[in-house]
Amino acid sequence: MDRLTVTRRQALRTLGHAAAGAAASSLWVESLSASSRQQVHAPETRAAVAATDWKPTVLTAHQNQTVVILTELIIPETDTPGAKATNVNRFIDRVLAVAKPGDREAFLRGLAWIDQRSQVLFGAAFAGTDAANQTTLLTRLSTEGNPDKEDPIGLDFFRAIKSMTINGYYSTEIGLRRELGDSGRLFQTVSQGCDHPEHSN
Amino acid sequence: MQIIRPPEVHPVIVIGSGASGGMAAWNLTQHGINVLLLDAGDKFDRSKFWTHVQPWEAQERVARGERPPQFFLDTKEQPYLTPEGRPFDLTRVWGHGGKTNVWGRVSLRYSEMDLKAAERDGWEIPWPISYAELAPYYDRVEQLIGVCGGTDDSEVLPGSKFLQPPPAPRCGERLLEKGMHKVGIPVVAGRRANMTRRTRGFPACHYCGNCGAGCDTASFFCSADHLLPEAMQTGRLEIRSNAVVGRILTDENGLARGVQYFDRHTGAERQALAQVIVVGASCVDSTRLLLNSKSERHPNGLGNGSDVIGRYLCEQIRLNATGFFPVLAGTATRNDRGIGGEHIYMPRFNHRPGRKRDYLRGFGAQFWNTGASTSGAHAGSERIPGFGAALKREIKRRHPAWFEIHPFGEVLPYAHNRITVDPARVDKYGVPLAKIDYQIGDNERKMTEHMADTIEEIVQAAGGELVNYRRGQLDAMGSAIHEHGTCRMGAEAKRSALNRFNQMHEVKNVFVVDGSSFPNAAEKNPTLTILALSWRASDYLADEIKRGNL
Repeated sequence: MDRLTVTRRQALRTLGHAAAGAAASSLWVESLSASSRQQVHAPETRAAVAATDWKPTVLTAHQNQTVVILTELIIPETDTPGAKATNVNRFIDRVLAVAKPGDREAFLRGLAWIDQRSQVLFGAAFAGTDAANQTTLLTRLSTEGNPDKEDPIGLDFFRAIKSMTINGYYSTEIGLRRELGDSGRLFQTVSQGCDHPEHSN
Repeated sequence: MQIIRPPEVHPVIVIGSGASGGMAAWNLTQHGINVLLLDAGDKFDRSKFWTHVQPWEAQERVARGERPPQFFLDTKEQPYLTPEGRPFDLTRVWGHGGKTNVWGRVSLRYSEMDLKAAERDGWEIPWPISYAELAPYYDRVEQLIGVCGGTDDSEVLPGSKFLQPPPAPRCGERLLEKGMHKVGIPVVAGRRANMTRRTRGFPACHYCGNCGAGCDTASFFCSADHLLPEAMQTGRLEIRSNAVVGRILTDENGLARGVQYFDRHTGAERQALAQVIVVGASCVDSTRLLLNSKSERHPNGLGNGSDVIGRYLCEQIRLNATGFFPVLAGTATRNDRGIGGEHIYMPRFNHRPGRKRDYLRGFGAQFWNTGASTSGAHAGSERIPGFGAALKREIKRRHPAWFEIHPFGEVLPYAHNRITVDPARVDKYGVPLAKIDYQIGDNERKMTEHMADTIEEIVQAAGGELVNYRRGQLDAMGSAIHEHGTCRMGAEAKRSALNRFNQMHEVKNVFVVDGSSFPNAAEKNPTLTILALSWRASDYLADEIKRGNL
């Protein structure tokens, strides 16, 4: 069998094994990352992301607003649209909705921590502070060997939302076709192989 | 007045319709023998597969009430047990064709080395058949199902004469090949049951790469497409769907006389009688069935006087390493979906002159997800540091540059790696559940080290960079989905359950034709060998019926 056929249960367990023995993210981060990779292919999740009458099922309005800002900071609009335009917040809400309760709670604790930290550093909740401050906070969280490990949940939270954002964004038509340049062609008469002599000599 | 009619006695009942059962049913009907085929599930409708649905296209389909087929059996419906702290991932497909609907299609012949490994190193028992006996069946299977591959035969991978042309390697695979050549690690074209030519009326592969969703054009071998319809055309096959077989029934002489089965949905208990029973329910479920078929003559499970049934469960160990090639970063994204898996393969080499090893048996390697991912950014993208426009740029740059290396290693057959049945824990039909107790030992741990060394050597030679590398972290036990060994063939009835034709030593009218019959696992993917064995066993069965011996 191959990876395409790996079930969600297996993916989670595989990662669980891997994470147990390595200095890696917390298990809940690994679990949400793996789940977001699986949810890319879940019909109900794609339908939820594209619904015309979408309402969050897990996130409050404030949490949702914060998630929208965070995802757009992670994958911003450049010459192609960013996370906000592809409703990655909805994807994340859906991943949380189907997540194990402990994983979901950990994520929401991390989201609350972002606001608390923003309050301490900038005197306002994350969504209420300016873009420069938001970037400053995320830069601290994304720096390898960050010396300001005030609370490990902040670092874990950033890894979790980053991986969910990447999986949500790049499985959209904008992310996969426009940004990554996938041709989207699904019927071909020949399999395109490498035709660069320098790769084989 | 009630007229009691004698129940129909079928010449042969086949249990399971995947590679093993589907092949037996197909071959027996070709021989003119009537077959009743029982499958625990239903037919999957190929026209409703989501092979060509992009992730973002699901919305409209869901809105129309469509769902992709649910291939995998939910453990809520049909649980199995594992001891605390020793998980085992069991993947089951109930439905016509079984796991061949979604299999990985890697088709590697076992060689004389694999079949006679136990003769060389003394660990457990060798196969009771030689490569020369199996080779004609491999030839027929490859012509029947359409396998692509190279002409690069070796003592590890023999017999390429009927292979269809292989797809060209992708850029990353070329770089891997180049690196492997540099350090003397062998690499060959992958051998896979994707038809690169139109075969027996089925269209050639169209390289969409989404084989894991099931192929809606049947361009790779699936028993439900490639065997069962032709068997039906003979007029000699009856398929009974949603028939969950619980036990094999025996007569006063200890011979099989039929099966007890349950309607999957209503739970109604039924029986079907037969002169011969062919078991092909996949390794774990066939073993469970035999162990649950206890009687006065078979107190330890059907045909299990030797107490080998359930023991010697062997799967494979795997590592999973991800990296990227800096020289490919920033190149144009290519549509190199290909045959939905790697186009190259690293055959086993640790036995070759000049190589040393401190463990038995060996490993090969596959290379999944090398090239541009077709369902999103590669998982390695999550490990690229930072965020924002710089992250987005780097994800795009690396998109065509990812590679993966996946060594698969043989796990020795150990008597304590065992499937048992627990009479206290039953499924919804009252049939005891299988308990899988499986762990690896020192031999596998030493092999893991060599597998990791090999990954690192290849990556270094090929100029790759590993990402999120966790040396020696094995994939979950069971996740190769290659279970074997629990109803093994052998020359001696004391040490094996089946003879050289997959016929039970103790119960002449029962044949077991799936992966449980392998005496050892090897490092290779088993389906091609299961097909060859089942063809060979059912040839013998047909001859025995014609000779009046069954």
